[in-house]
Amino acid sequence: MVYDLIIVGGGPAGASAGVYAGRKKMKTLLITESFGGQSVISDSIENWIGMKQVTGLNLAKMFEEHLRVYDNVEIRMPEKAALVKEAENGWEVTTDKNNIYQAKTLIIASGGHRKLLNIAGEEQFNGKGVSYCSTCDAPIFRDKNVAVIGGGNAGAEAVIDLLPYAAKIYLVSIGPELKADPETVQEIKKSSKLVIINNAETKEILGDRFVAGLKYMDKNDNQIKTLEVGGVFVEIGSVPNSEIVKDVVEINKAGEIVVDHKTGATNKPGIFAAGDVTDEIYKQNNISAGDGVAAALSAYNYLFNIKKQSPASENLNI
Amino acid sequence: MVKIYTTPACVYCKMAKEFFKEHDIAYEEKDVSADKAVLDEMIQKSGQMGTPVIDVDGKIVVGFDEAAIKDLLKL
Repeated sequence: MVYDLIIVGGGPAGASAGVYAGRKKMKTLLITESFGGQSVISDSIENWIGMKQVTGLNLAKMFEEHLRVYDNVEIRMPEKAALVKEAENGWEVTTDKNNIYQAKTLIIASGGHRKLLNIAGEEQFNGKGVSYCSTCDAPIFRDKNVAVIGGGNAGAEAVIDLLPYAAKIYLVSIGPELKADPETVQEIKKSSKLVIINNAETKEILGDRFVAGLKYMDKNDNQIKTLEVGGVFVEIGSVPNSEIVKDVVEINKAGEIVVDHKTGATNKPGIFAAGDVTDEIYKQNNISAGDGVAAALSAYNYLFNIKKQSPASENLNI
Repeated sequence: MVKIYTTPACVYCKMAKEFFKEHDIAYEEKDVSADKAVLDEMIQKSGQMGTPVIDVDGKIVVGFDEAAIKDLLKL
């Protein structure tokens, strides 16, 4: 059995690719661990167009329900694509369940995952004071001193989650100043609970049974300093999940799949990519959904050897 | 007796509660954000600080581990 299309991923990019493939009657297989992508843990998404507010979980359910409308889209969930290889008539995807599926075209929409600090103590204290979800875990740190690592928007938003609960919040940033939106920075600076530490390189998470401190190097004076904290929230960005195609398609230094942003095409014929796994600048749900659409239509056009131009230039016959 | 320790914004807590409803399992919800004593009880029982923590007749499951929960509830 060779599918027309295999989609890897069930976030906004994979789901929208699936819906468009469904409507194009392509024989499609969608492989994903779960639906909703990275924002599934969000308690309140307020920028999904057409919805003033939705939880990540409900958005995920809507993706799944929409996909299940199409009989020609088979869903394998939970299953994780492990490796992509060239096959006789296209491409082959091996999964963590040791299943091997073949298709003429692929859309890699595997998203990203959180970047880890990779310092001593991080793994040991994961769930014991080290957290990657401030929205989920903020109330657990009531009256505690905590550190948030990361001076971008995610870090600043973690501070906002923690403000109602924590006693004191150290916002630890590796750069000389915060990179978060000025509006958000202004907002959090109003709180007397917040201490901003710039030019700080985190070195080690300390503790016994639970987190008790954070060691960092102050790059202003090159001294190792210690914060007494009961919690460390890691918000230092995400890493693209491009491992499965790293030996197949062009990947940039950041680990992102390099695509043609008009079509979602990678440098390998028949392989397309969409969403956060690509070198798309804006890692946003709405953008990923649009990328997924472009990738699905491009895969369809590739299958039927259709050359596509923008509608206006098609009319001009140029 | 099933108890679930939750925070209001924890998506896996919601998934777990939906799972219980789906399988007609009665449960007691303990919101750790509302009561420091309940929070300490959860940390004490589970040796960690993440939610959900699910207590099935004294046996503790950390996170929404569907397989482990099914096993304990003999589903």
